[in-house]
Amino acid sequence: MTTTRHPALTTTLWFAAILLLLPVLATFLNSIATGWTGGILPSGLSLDAYQTILLDARFQSALLRSTIVAGLALFLACLLIVPAVIAAHFYWPTLDTWMARLVILPYAVPTIILMVGYLRVFSAPPLQLGGQPIVLVLTYVPLCFPMFYINVKNSLQALDTTELFEAGRLLGISDARLLRRVILPSIFPGIALAIVLNFAGLMSEFVYARMLVGGQFETLQMYMFAQRDLSGRLSSVIVTVYFLITLLITFAAFRLVWRTETKS
Amino acid sequence: MSHHASPAMKLLAAPFLLMLAALVVWPLATVLIDSFSKGGVWSLGNYAEILTSAYYGQSFVNSLLISAVTTAIGVLFGFLIAVSLRYRSGGTRRIAMALANIGANLAGVPLAMALIFLLGLNGTLTIVLKASGLIGSFNVYSLTGLIIAYCYFQIALAVLLIIPVLDGIETELEEAASLIGVGTTRFWLRVGLPVVGRQMVAITTLLFANAMGTYATTLALTGTSVNVITIRISELVSGDVFSDPNLANAIAIALFLVLLVPIVVSQLLLKGDKR
Repeated sequence: MTTTRHPALTTTLWFAAILLLLPVLATFLNSIATGWTGGILPSGLSLDAYQTILLDARFQSALLRSTIVAGLALFLACLLIVPAVIAAHFYWPTLDTWMARLVILPYAVPTIILMVGYLRVFSAPPLQLGGQPIVLVLTYVPLCFPMFYINVKNSLQALDTTELFEAGRLLGISDARLLRRVILPSIFPGIALAIVLNFAGLMSEFVYARMLVGGQFETLQMYMFAQRDLSGRLSSVIVTVYFLITLLITFAAFRLVWRTETKS
Repeated sequence: MSHHASPAMKLLAAPFLLMLAALVVWPLATVLIDSFSKGGVWSLGNYAEILTSAYYGQSFVNSLLISAVTTAIGVLFGFLIAVSLRYRSGGTRRIAMALANIGANLAGVPLAMALIFLLGLNGTLTIVLKASGLIGSFNVYSLTGLIIAYCYFQIALAVLLIIPVLDGIETELEEAASLIGVGTTRFWLRVGLPVVGRQMVAITTLLFANAMGTYATTLALTGTSVNVITIRISELVSGDVFSDPNLANAIAIALFLVLLVPIVVSQLLLKGDKR
């Protein structure tokens, strides 16, 4: 870019970066300090607390539970949402318009509102599942919708399909076959990106985990909530580990984007 | 798309529509219906209680206050950061987007815990500021603490939403302005901001809704001590002495209306923009 950099804007950027990273740095400092001498500098450094947490069976189970619930929800979301977005894009413009509006659903209807409704829905037949982990799998599916819609739609728009369908019809290849053999593979990067981004979002879900299922099925967020009053060192290790997990997922997502960008 | 309408293909969307009906429409409908039930009979009693109770009124006022302040801060800083990133390389932008994405996902319990390590009674920054005599004491478990906490995810979300919007402003336009001697500040105030004005209004309403619906960060930082709307809803359904699920339904509907009106208005504005 040829436009000159405004010094005030550079300052803003640095100021924001430092401010946003401060809590993470403070947490990390806490997690490796063995004790404090009264000032801001720790008396010694050690990674012992990391070993304690990473080997803690309760932490491992919580991580496993969150991963399984998120995985199942994403599997269901793929099966339900991706075909619908494709169908709306090619054959049902009215539905497509409504889907575009539904993207803001998580903002218009925060989870705290839906949670109140779910308490009622899951307490009586035909969905009498109150308190069971399957409730999380089901309620996480609608949360995945916006990311799937945005990314699958972007991939679909990047394809030039009008000619493809016409050629297919001339050759007697059905639309269904084309969708399965050509369209689906070419929008796969979009689907993968939606999965990775949604996975990070579902790992951070707390309202449903606490209010619909509770402590008997401890997810990663519930584990963190329960351990927040633990010794500062152990709970700061938990937050740091969680931060690293999120960092890893985000890095994976951005690698996906980067790879598709350089390919095209 | 100009394909021959094929009704069979529309069936692909059927499972999705069923899911939407069962997991969004149905629960919302029960919230609405039950909000009109008090003591087993149909009444507007729950709504009357919200309107007359100073306690629930205060929870709305507190939520509105925190949300308005943090939305303003979020949009302002989000905009400044997004503008700054325009003049940076793709690499810097990508790192910033990744950081903002992480920031948005850290909202909740981990954010509250991290802020306690930074600003709590023995927080790293609290100790530094106290030692330097800048502050006497600071209580992070307060309304101020909540505002600071919300700012983190509000700014992160604003950056994520504003960056793509600014991409819509051609760099040629900015370069042309620069050639005729219009400075960066004037360009953004006179040209940039008006061009993306409607989208900024839409983003502002989303940020506001995001703050109004925040629960995890609030509960993990201040417990039930600061009277905000989401904490009230969760207490009313949690089945202890305060339990009154139907009142919770009415509060949830009231919150829904407070969020829906600005979102619908701003989306209509956006639609006008496209024509």
